[in-house]
Amino acid sequence: MWELIRANKRKSLILFISMGICLVLLGYFVGAVFFPPDGGTAGIVIALGVWFFMSLISYFSGDSILLAVSKAQEVSHDVHPQLFNIVEEMKIAANLPVMPKVYIVAEEAPNAFATGIKSEKCAIAVTAGLLSRLNRDELQGVIAHEMSHIVNRDVLFVTFAGILLGSIVLISQVFLRSMWFSSRSSRRYRTSKKVAGGGQAQLIITAVAIALAILAPILTRLLYFSLSRKREYLADATAARLTRYPEGLASALEQISSVSLDLPSANKVTAPMYIVNPLKKKGMQLSNLTSTHPPISERIKILRGMMHGVNYRDYQKSFSKVRGKAPAVIPTSGLLEAKRILIRKPSVEKREREPGKKKGIRDLGDIMRAVNKYAFLICACGLKMKVPPDYKKPKIFCPRCGRENEVPLAELAAVTAAVGAVTVEEGKKKEGPPGAPARQTYVRKGKGWESFSCSCGRLLQISPAFGGSHIICSTCGGITEIKK
Amino acid sequence: MAILILLLAVVVIVVVVLIGFYNSLIRLRNQVKNAWSQIDVQLKRRHDLIPNLVETAKGYMKHERETLENITEARSRAINAGSVGEKGPAESALSGAISRFLVVVENYPDLKANQNFLALQEELTSTENKIGFARQSYNDQVLFYNNKIQMFPSNVVAGMFSFTVEEFFELEDRGERAVPKVDFS
Amino acid sequence: MDCPVCKEPMIVLELDEVEIDHCTSCGGIWLDAGELELLLGDPDSRDRFLSSFETDEVTEERSRRCPICRKRMEKVSAGANGKVRIDRCRNNDGIWLDEGELEEILQMGSLGKDDRVLRLLKEMFAKKRQ
Repeated sequence: MWELIRANKRKSLILFISMGICLVLLGYFVGAVFFPPDGGTAGIVIALGVWFFMSLISYFSGDSILLAVSKAQEVSHDVHPQLFNIVEEMKIAANLPVMPKVYIVAEEAPNAFATGIKSEKCAIAVTAGLLSRLNRDELQGVIAHEMSHIVNRDVLFVTFAGILLGSIVLISQVFLRSMWFSSRSSRRYRTSKKVAGGGQAQLIITAVAIALAILAPILTRLLYFSLSRKREYLADATAARLTRYPEGLASALEQISSVSLDLPSANKVTAPMYIVNPLKKKGMQLSNLTSTHPPISERIKILRGMMHGVNYRDYQKSFSKVRGKAPAVIPTSGLLEAKRILIRKPSVEKREREPGKKKGIRDLGDIMRAVNKYAFLICACGLKMKVPPDYKKPKIFCPRCGRENEVPLAELAAVTAAVGAVTVEEGKKKEGPPGAPARQTYVRKGKGWESFSCSCGRLLQISPAFGGSHIICSTCGGITEIKK
Repeated sequence: MAILILLLAVVVIVVVVLIGFYNSLIRLRNQVKNAWSQIDVQLKRRHDLIPNLVETAKGYMKHERETLENITEARSRAINAGSVGEKGPAESALSGAISRFLVVVENYPDLKANQNFLALQEELTSTENKIGFARQSYNDQVLFYNNKIQMFPSNVVAGMFSFTVEEFFELEDRGERAVPKVDFS
Repeated sequence: MDCPVCKEPMIVLELDEVEIDHCTSCGGIWLDAGELELLLGDPDSRDRFLSSFETDEVTEERSRRCPICRKRMEKVSAGANGKVRIDRCRNNDGIWLDEGELEEILQMGSLGKDDRVLRLLKEMFAKKRQ
């Protein structure tokens, strides 16, 4: 895998340089047209300037812009423990130095993407629709795919190549429009003197510039898309290797492709980042050259074709079987991998997820509400109450049984998030950092009155109707998390 | 004079290359160590989860005292295991106790409807997975490190500074790997 | 979602995988069309349920705005003998019941054509019947 990163970097560099050459050529000729006779150099400077400026912005705040545009919200372990755990599992499998941040997009269309120019500062975002549709193994496959993009440095490539492409498109658009404008407006007022004075050379340069302005964006776009497609295959291969279970990702892709919902928060620029194309679900197979993602059916077929093992060679073998004589997707260093890696057994979880059915819709709604910081109370009588974050009253009387339920206040909700990852052994006192209140967890034994002691020794009692998630000790201010 | 400068230049280049190889070997060895410590972190996490799990289950499983006591015992044995040689079997025994417990859980639908228990179950599955992935990642790192040590030209540097081949984490007992599969249906 | 009467945020109650929005200030409830579809099984029975109420033209009661589409809702008659007046969204986004209307309906034991809705309400607001 680590050799592959290097091969990947080399390839990106080649592509990057060829796109750069396109930019420089375009800049030169456009400059030569605008400022004859020797504005070519100025044109190059301006073109590189545009590119440099855009790169600078995206290097320093690209991820946050991207996440904000995609309407992704950062979540804690408590909002979706399973998602958090799976990301951590894949972080360990990929030997990533830091834990990526986890984001959820409150949308129904199932999809996922990763950001982060450096692997030390990266994030994985999934939609609520994805979480409500996939089981554990499938979700693991998707997260592994995204983790592969991070480890393979694909995000870096997509960001900078995308910006290079953006600069080229911008410059050609500006140029073509100004040509169109000037040729229309100037014909009436200008004499033909200037054209005659510029001579034939200027005419040729103009022609070349126009041709470049039309061709360069198309050419760079094709280069960009072809590599971005290859990267999807490579990320699939890495995901199969990381999870030791290609069927997980295959079945996840199948689930995702069965839903024909567009993702409203995605656009043409961000589309290549997603695990499947978030736009125009139907037209995918038609325009193979210009699509950023390979056809899903093919990706599934390749993953399912890996019968004997999950190393890169197995993926390439299956790839060749499905695609025929297509060029290799796995760099040669990956193919040298000789060690046989066996497929693991599926995890036993048999949770049926039926989107569209009651349970699926409830799950989806609850995930979205959790992202939007709703509090969930379950009354002792079984009635579930979902309280919006802007709800002001401290107590709710259950309309079913009349019990009083305490609403966890906003600052307590934040504490829950922090405490969620820490479990403290029963009866053992745990002290937080100096100055911070002591924290402990108490697990309820039943539905009656119960008492226990705070870490400072004060006796605390909870009533049968207690529905909150915390008790704050009035003596020491220590927080006891109550679990049912 | 010219020859002296040339010789000096060659020496400098050789030293720089050697330092480069040495540093990359050190980096790889640290990654191997880091991957190993990940396994420890996850084993520790499993030890932390068990008391809560037992406490939650106690109220529901009045007739399964023995199963619960087995887990608690296996846990304390795993915690108190000193040497690496003792640790391996102790952790496998703990995995065995956990899996027996989870089979018994199937007979208690009330327990399986308990939100807190479900949350603990998810944490436990994930921890078992993490232990597995940490081993997997450790073996990947070892493979990469060992390749570097054995292949020319880095093997020369490895020999000079006595970098030794690391061992893979293979499971002598096949049962151990099969056991942590947890049924959460 | 805010209560159409007091504009306070409503809480969501869930029982048997069906949700009802409930205002804890005024005690009113909002039955969402999507939830009615989940409860009744298909869009047809939902539409049948929603159109089973007759529009009540002559009324001085203040009309309220639908919490979903913000348009003014219409007054319709419900209950066994059409005596209870409730609000229905003109786009069929759902129906709104004030606390008093809910109590009357629970006591009368009839809401619309499908008593599955009534059964759920009885179960969810058991305290109000006592």
